[in-house]
Amino acid sequence: ITFTPNTNELQFYIFNICHYPRFCPFLVDKCIGSRIHIVMKNDKEIVGTLLGFDDFVNMVLEDVTEFEITPEGRRITKLDQILLNGNNITMLIPGGEGPEV
Amino acid sequence: MSLRKQTPSDFLKQIIGRPVVVKLNSGVDYRGVLACLDGYMNIAVEQTEEYVNGQLKNKYGDAFLRGNNLLYISTQKRKM
Repeated sequence: ITFTPNTNELQFYIFNICHYPRFCPFLVDKCIGSRIHIVMKNDKEIVGTLLGFDDFVNMVLEDVTEFEITPEGRRITKLDQILLNGNNITMLIPGGEGPEV
Repeated sequence: MSLRKQTPSDFLKQIIGRPVVVKLNSGVDYRGVLACLDGYMNIAVEQTEEYVNGQLKNKYGDAFLRGNNLLYISTQKRKM
């Protein structure tokens, strides 16, 4: 069985069946301007003020603290702004302060 | 502290020529002046210093970093 839709069938699928036809950023959008705690895939967490994001949830953050979850809980603090690659993001926690160190 | 909404593409436009810190997925850190970049987060950095575990390991005149390896790009006003 092959699925080779024409444009109309594709449109029907996207508008009526697919739950995420375009990424719906409403919840993330609400966080703009406030602190957000981001958990990454590889034992790393980032806390910062959310300035903006894009369709891929790459995020622009300010006043950022980076945490590495090791037995010692290393912490790196950066001021100014960062662009965080959305590829490795696992979880977003609005208003979060990060892990306890 | 400018808190107007700023998308990644705006951010990228304004940081060219600035000193940046770039962290890779592997945890290796690069500091240098951002020469150019593209939409895939591929970047070219000048006067690059490579830090592994916080230790300076290498210096490169020019470095090209493939975007898929990047964890973040940060402008550089740094304190530990």
